[in-house]
Amino acid sequence: MSKTKIDRRNFLKVLGLGTAGAAMAGCDMPSYVTSEEGAEKIYSYLAPEEYMIPGIGVWYASTCQQCPASCGVHGRVREGRVLKLEGNPDTTVNAGKICQMGQASIQAHFHPERLQNPTINGKDATWDEALALVKEKTGNAAWVTGTVSGHQRVLMDAHRQASGNGRHYAIEAVNARAWEDASATLLGDSNPNLHIDKARAVLTIGADFLGTWGNPVKSMRDYGNFRNAPRGVLMAIEPAMSMTGANADTWVAARPGSEAAVVLGIGHVLITKHGVSAAGMPSAAAAFAAMTPARVLELSGVSTAQLTKIADTLMSNSPSLILANASHAAAKAAQVLNLMLGNVGQTLTPSTALAANGLAPLTGSSKDLVEFAMDANAGKIGAAFITGTNPSFLAPKGLDMAAALSKIGFKVAIADFADETTKSCDVVLPMSSPLEAWGTHVPVNGGASGDIHIQQPLMENVYANTRGFGDILLSVGQGAGVEGLGAFEDYYGYLRTAVSALIGSDMEGDWNKALQAGKVTAATIPMAFKAGEDVALGFSEPAAAGTLSLVTSARQGLYDGRHANLPWMQEAPDQISKAVWDSWAEMHPATAAKLGVKDGDYVSINTANGAISTRVFTYKGMHPDAVNVPMGRGHTDYGTYATNGVNPLTIMDASPGDRQTTELLSSNLAVQVSPTGENRHLVRLMDVDSQHGRKLVATITADQFDRNQGGA
Amino acid sequence: MPSLLGNVFQSWAKYSKGNEQGGFHDYEHMYSMSIDLDKCTGCNACSTACYAENNLAWVGEEKFGARQAMNWMRVERYFDEPDVGEGSSDSLERGASFLPMMCQHCNGAPCEPVCPVAATYHTVDGLNAQIYNRCIGSRYCANNCPIRVRNFNFYDNAPTAWPAPMDQGLNPDVTVRSLGVMEKCTFCVQRIRAGNDLAKREGRKLQDGDIVTACQQTCPTSAIVFGDLLDEASEISKAWKRQQVELGKYKQDKENPEMRGYRVYEELNIDTKVLYLERVREV
Repeated sequence: MSKTKIDRRNFLKVLGLGTAGAAMAGCDMPSYVTSEEGAEKIYSYLAPEEYMIPGIGVWYASTCQQCPASCGVHGRVREGRVLKLEGNPDTTVNAGKICQMGQASIQAHFHPERLQNPTINGKDATWDEALALVKEKTGNAAWVTGTVSGHQRVLMDAHRQASGNGRHYAIEAVNARAWEDASATLLGDSNPNLHIDKARAVLTIGADFLGTWGNPVKSMRDYGNFRNAPRGVLMAIEPAMSMTGANADTWVAARPGSEAAVVLGIGHVLITKHGVSAAGMPSAAAAFAAMTPARVLELSGVSTAQLTKIADTLMSNSPSLILANASHAAAKAAQVLNLMLGNVGQTLTPSTALAANGLAPLTGSSKDLVEFAMDANAGKIGAAFITGTNPSFLAPKGLDMAAALSKIGFKVAIADFADETTKSCDVVLPMSSPLEAWGTHVPVNGGASGDIHIQQPLMENVYANTRGFGDILLSVGQGAGVEGLGAFEDYYGYLRTAVSALIGSDMEGDWNKALQAGKVTAATIPMAFKAGEDVALGFSEPAAAGTLSLVTSARQGLYDGRHANLPWMQEAPDQISKAVWDSWAEMHPATAAKLGVKDGDYVSINTANGAISTRVFTYKGMHPDAVNVPMGRGHTDYGTYATNGVNPLTIMDASPGDRQTTELLSSNLAVQVSPTGENRHLVRLMDVDSQHGRKLVATITADQFDRNQGGA
Repeated sequence: MPSLLGNVFQSWAKYSKGNEQGGFHDYEHMYSMSIDLDKCTGCNACSTACYAENNLAWVGEEKFGARQAMNWMRVERYFDEPDVGEGSSDSLERGASFLPMMCQHCNGAPCEPVCPVAATYHTVDGLNAQIYNRCIGSRYCANNCPIRVRNFNFYDNAPTAWPAPMDQGLNPDVTVRSLGVMEKCTFCVQRIRAGNDLAKREGRKLQDGDIVTACQQTCPTSAIVFGDLLDEASEISKAWKRQQVELGKYKQDKENPEMRGYRVYEELNIDTKVLYLERVREV
């Protein structure tokens, strides 16, 4: 190797030359690749470490942290750099596949705007200073996070227990809370396993399972099989077309907020036309009986023919699966229908609980966002750790998050990027990217596997002074005097011991096997559904016909806004509108005509909580009473790439009554929309939505498909 | 005629063979792709994987709007289908139709003969290749491409697309293109090379599955199949056979017209090598 002594980090850095050298050899070296220090020296590779064979990429297993689903990944490491992620084929959840957000991990990892040094009140500090201050001021601290699982959750719990039992708020604007609550009520299992591949028909009411809901990559894999012959039928009912709706065979527009009524109406038709029994559920049966098709039409705009078609399809394609997340009422009614149709046990099976249940995912909700704001505003939170969530961006104005945060005496952010929330924190601890850190993660809704995914660093820190999330948790825990943590020098040591304990072996070989597989399979406890019981089913009255309501879809890509600082995600065209880099308001053409606006016209969308102004995009995948502004843009402090667009979450209704039933995001919020007079072309992938008769996407009927076994 | 032009005429006879006569190459491989449009959910995983794998520059809103994006693979979205129409109702009655679109590596590629410097040509692997350091940026090829899948570097995109340390994430196996050259989908030629090299090193023939393109690898519904058409055992040649679609034709004569395979713009006789499987609709 080299003459001088060189430590490992410098060794890696020096090997980075391999990249520049290769580019030069290819004679197309881009001019911006500057030669690094020492580039003129040549180091031989006589004794390279195993992962440093020049020119050869080696794949290491880790876990994706771009959304709460926590898919297993393989990262390609070459010359000490991670270059590309692919799905880990050995996982039950994603089996070799990842979504666009996972692909963009690399861009987040090498991002120039990542936090690089700890700060105290905005000024650079050392880790020792920052951690000492944290130790001094965070007794009784609350934890404010996104969905968390694995040993990171264990350490947070241990910290809370050792320091006065502060509350843990798990905030996810994109969540499955309505479904989880309904499943817990009716099945006694908040996250039953879904078998989309085994269903012959799937009906979704506001559960965008192909896009953002639950575990999208797993759902998409199952969906691929669902489409094999005999081909399953997908139906969607929603106010604005989602990615799942965009793949539906039958798509039905429903007035925002009327989804529960439509589900009850389907039950009505199933009982009256098809004789499906609601025996043993008199209250539910009464709710179905009361929701006549005429009433459904009046409330939702869904016609009797549409209702009947959906009910007929569910009957003729058994087993089916009905997924709903539009509201608590809709989800509850959907689960009752699953019980009545005999889907429970077939396309819905009990989840598998980990014996080590402290590792299980604590799934987030927007209810926690509201409660966090209210508790903070009431002065109930003295100190808080905030990590993996951005409450200042996600909170509606009505929650007054700025005031709420200012009432918390001491706030610590553990973050990789500066955002709207870190700005108001007293101490900011810069964490390594997920590709540089250790961790364990239990995928939400991961199927009956007991799999725990292992996150291992794929390269040295890009920014030397950042620390792994687990390492920070460990320091914080040690600072609070959590028993047993003192023995560990770093999170790796802790995790290795913890995982060894989990698999009952501390052999080097077993640990290496776990790292290679990217997962360990832990002991599980089989669960059983409880017997279906009678529940009261209700629905909320939507706004009157002709009143516009605001919908804020989440889309795979920007998600809840956390990926808005990634140019790849900004430039990946929205699945529905195909717009890039800016916000837009989706509207039915008839609605636009009534307002006197056309594509590209700016409209001001006003609620009691404020106004946003953005451009109109019209298409017919909307209920005429809905205006949809997808969330994710409109950041004010999230770096140079996230400046465009508007944030519809700020003007959403935050009233407690609303939160009890429907969570924040699907609230049926009446809005006034008025043109501002400006117009600017909305930049989209293509400016055509029609094939103009050319056979680009050709079509065949399902009968023909099934007759030929799908061409298999 | 023993003349100076003799050789030229002789060669011309060889090279003037149309697609119908099997074209002019003694192909060693014939890489091809198939995409099942009924499984495609339009999620963008493929196109983003392509950005990561092939060092595609992002360009920002303004250049994107000027059709200067560098997306080799784009997922088109339509709200109607010529076979079933948009529907007469006020509302969409079914979902959208998604169409992942990239270079189709046409065997009768209209882009190839118009290049004044032969920067784009057909390889013995059946790939429509682009030689970046030969390209002079005439853009004739892009003008002649009916599918609009060629991306021209109107700007030196690299400094903005990969500000340090983002450049550390560039794939060293793929050239970063510079100002003034044309670029396009290569069917992940670096992966094709790696697959071939590996087989050679291991002293065996290339097997189906040795080469996986980035888009195929990540597709969550496994809608994409890739492989060598000259390998009769490969999934891709089975797919073409099953779908009764043949190369070298501008109109297919299927025994069973209900088989879903088709090619876009077949009537232009460009002989594309991407087989699409029709979207399926309940009626």
